[in-house]
Amino acid sequence: MLGFLLVVLLIPYLIAAYGLLFVKLRWGLRLFGAFIVATIGLLTAMFLVEAYPIIARDGVAVFLQTGWDPVRESYGVLQALTGTVLTSAVAMALAMPMALGVAVTINEILPTRWRGVFGSLVDLTATMPTVIYGLWGLFVLGPTLHSLVNTLARDTMTSPYTLFTAGVLLAIMITPYAAAVIREGYALVPKPVEEAIYAVGATRFEAALIKLRYVKNYILGGFFLALGRAMGETVAVAMVVGGNFSRFTTNIFESGITISSLIALQFPNAASYQYMVPALFAGALLLTLFGVAINAVAIYIIQRGQI
Amino acid sequence: MTAERKAKDITAVRMVINWLGLGLFALLGVAAVAPLFLIIGDVYIKGIDAINRLGGLWHFLTGLPPTPYEESGGIGPMLVGTFYMTALGALLGIAVGFPLGVYIGEMRREKFANVARAGVNVLVEFPTIVVGLFVYAVMSLAKEDLNLYLLDPLSRAISPVGGWITRFIGPLDGYNAYAGAAALSIIMIPYVALITASAYASIEQPLREAAYAIGGREFNALFVVLRKAVSRAVLTAALLGTAKIAGETAPLLFTAFGNFYYGPFTGPTAAVPLWIWYAAQTPYEVQIASAYGAAAVLLTIILTIFIIARIRG
Amino acid sequence: MAKIELKDLRVSFGVSPVITGVNLSIPDRSITALMGPSGSGKSTVLRVLNRLIELYPEAKVSGEVYLDGQNIFDMNVLELRRKVQMIFQIPNPIPNLSIFENVALGLKLNRLVRGRRELFERVKSALEKAQLWDEVRNRLDMPAGKLSGGQQQRLCVARALAFEPEVLLADEPTANLDPENTAKVEALFLWLKKEMTIVLVTHYPPQAARISDYAAFLYKGQIVEWGPTKDTFTKPRHELTEKYVTGRLY
Repeated sequence: MLGFLLVVLLIPYLIAAYGLLFVKLRWGLRLFGAFIVATIGLLTAMFLVEAYPIIARDGVAVFLQTGWDPVRESYGVLQALTGTVLTSAVAMALAMPMALGVAVTINEILPTRWRGVFGSLVDLTATMPTVIYGLWGLFVLGPTLHSLVNTLARDTMTSPYTLFTAGVLLAIMITPYAAAVIREGYALVPKPVEEAIYAVGATRFEAALIKLRYVKNYILGGFFLALGRAMGETVAVAMVVGGNFSRFTTNIFESGITISSLIALQFPNAASYQYMVPALFAGALLLTLFGVAINAVAIYIIQRGQI
Repeated sequence: MTAERKAKDITAVRMVINWLGLGLFALLGVAAVAPLFLIIGDVYIKGIDAINRLGGLWHFLTGLPPTPYEESGGIGPMLVGTFYMTALGALLGIAVGFPLGVYIGEMRREKFANVARAGVNVLVEFPTIVVGLFVYAVMSLAKEDLNLYLLDPLSRAISPVGGWITRFIGPLDGYNAYAGAAALSIIMIPYVALITASAYASIEQPLREAAYAIGGREFNALFVVLRKAVSRAVLTAALLGTAKIAGETAPLLFTAFGNFYYGPFTGPTAAVPLWIWYAAQTPYEVQIASAYGAAAVLLTIILTIFIIARIRG
Repeated sequence: MAKIELKDLRVSFGVSPVITGVNLSIPDRSITALMGPSGSGKSTVLRVLNRLIELYPEAKVSGEVYLDGQNIFDMNVLELRRKVQMIFQIPNPIPNLSIFENVALGLKLNRLVRGRRELFERVKSALEKAQLWDEVRNRLDMPAGKLSGGQQQRLCVARALAFEPEVLLADEPTANLDPENTAKVEALFLWLKKEMTIVLVTHYPPQAARISDYAAFLYKGQIVEWGPTKDTFTKPRHELTEKYVTGRLY
């Protein structure tokens, strides 16, 4: 009944909100604001409800156990959590330098005419569907990394599809997000400050470093924004991470799993088992928590620097 | 060594470091953008080849997907599904995102507006699979009663219109196109809202005051007079948002689920990204090829929207 | 030979010419004032002298500028900026860096000092000359953005003086200061001219009359007249000059 009411009341709610716009504008607008807040609240509530069975049964152990054994109805997401952390770490380590590179290249190195084009290319990288990244990762990046790494150090990568592969792919995907924030900040360096930096005899490289220090709030903000994206990315990661659900590993050159890819890959099976769906929702709850926390930090940092 | 000579040496070293350092930044910048070309190249080379092998462009755009043992196939159902769900999702995304953006952009003094803004910021880069799970959860909760009290009677009432209406309206399965569209709209709404908000926020104070003076009612000021000032940004947001959700896979996994056939929209619905996700992970050559073909089509759609948005914006 | 010589200097921004043929000789160890109404190109001339004009890609520069007989465009720009320092109209310390770091920045970048001891001494001496040392000696680590306007400007002066430059370019340095701070800066210039060449851009003729030794009147991108200040103000050769120095031209 509850669900029915929710869905059925949605349409009148939106019609009312629209109608109000014409009559009492501000209240109409507020209804739209309320809509978005309610959505987030509802989302959290539903996840808590859906995850309840397994949290009631195992408590916090769900998050601390390893081993995903549907047959024995024993679910631990620790290996997925570790996988999320490891792939994100690899991704951030590669993405941040590239994002800084993009910001400096656009603002210091490229002639004015090419800046727009280059910027658009970076934006396009962000707009590409993740499933196409996954496709490329599956058939090109994975095998390439596999032979590359194994040529440098024999048999390090056990398969083309590992946490490392996912990390590299993620890095390519999240760089534009960090780059966009850093670029925005970099462009806000006031002209008088720029003149001062050059007047005291800095080379362009030295000036770039000083400016980056000036915008370190934006760099930090971009960092957290990209991190949030990395932790939440599902499809591309699922296609290249290797799908190792049960064995716990901290070796990035082995196949692994992340929370988001765990949900994506296991959900089709889940209906057949009693506790799998709640376990996956518990994972979703964790993801939601990370998503909210990290994005909140990112926004806070960026806005604090704007004073 | 004289002081002059020493100064010249130090300067020379700094110039070398300058070139090396800038070179490093340039290299990193190029590295960020290079994969784009590799990916687009890979997708088009293999994709166009696949489309040719699988029966040519027209057949590919309209035909049913290949089974593992066939030699030709297409993504007809997927294109229809993507088109339908993206259109609905974008419609809702703009319809809700735009007023929401006006709210958080124009009424910044209100405390609740800041709460809403925080909410929008949280949602905008939310893991999309979580959004899909949310809609799935609501759908499961609502389905039975929804069908029982609303959709069954409704579909019986309008059945005189013709059989075709059952493709659109009727009792919903657990997986259906409307759940998919809902998930997509939840992803698009915050995106449109944020860009609308910053478009309104960047209106200079004099213009805003003039708009209120001319417009009389606030509604007129905001939506009629200032329309031109923000319409470019909002249009760009709408286009880019549509491109974004057209390519989304994760939110559709548990809402639309996917389909091999031209099913009714009240049941599991196909989508291009879902097909790529599925087919790329099968061991069958023909299906992998069709995944590449689908990727080429999807990429073309998105590139087109992107270029249109860039030119108009 | 004059310290700085400008020969047929022309600068245009895109298609608009700003400086249309300037010839000037700036003598050593004196204050040369560059005056004229807004838009006459004074700040642009100044920015050519330390090649800061190169930060504006739309700007096209032609002509020759010599420092001690050397063409500044043939020199390494870092070497030029070691010798020619600038103070700006609106104080521009780097706000997130500390007071100490602001003054030390140029010294460190250009490796002008060896060791922390020497660095500290140079910074202290510069701050003392700029008459800021006593006010900040106990809070050298404070971010420069927190200083008052007058203090910030003196910080920028210290930053320039730390180089012990041969030439000091000042772009309307007291335009945004109150009379007390203005007087301090003017007194400082009078004291500094014994050691260096000062080129002072001002849009306020009385200031030029007060402290400069030579004055050049710039109007619509051309030098109308220049010479010893006394002559320019009491016996101007040009009608325009006379109008300007008596306040009837702006």
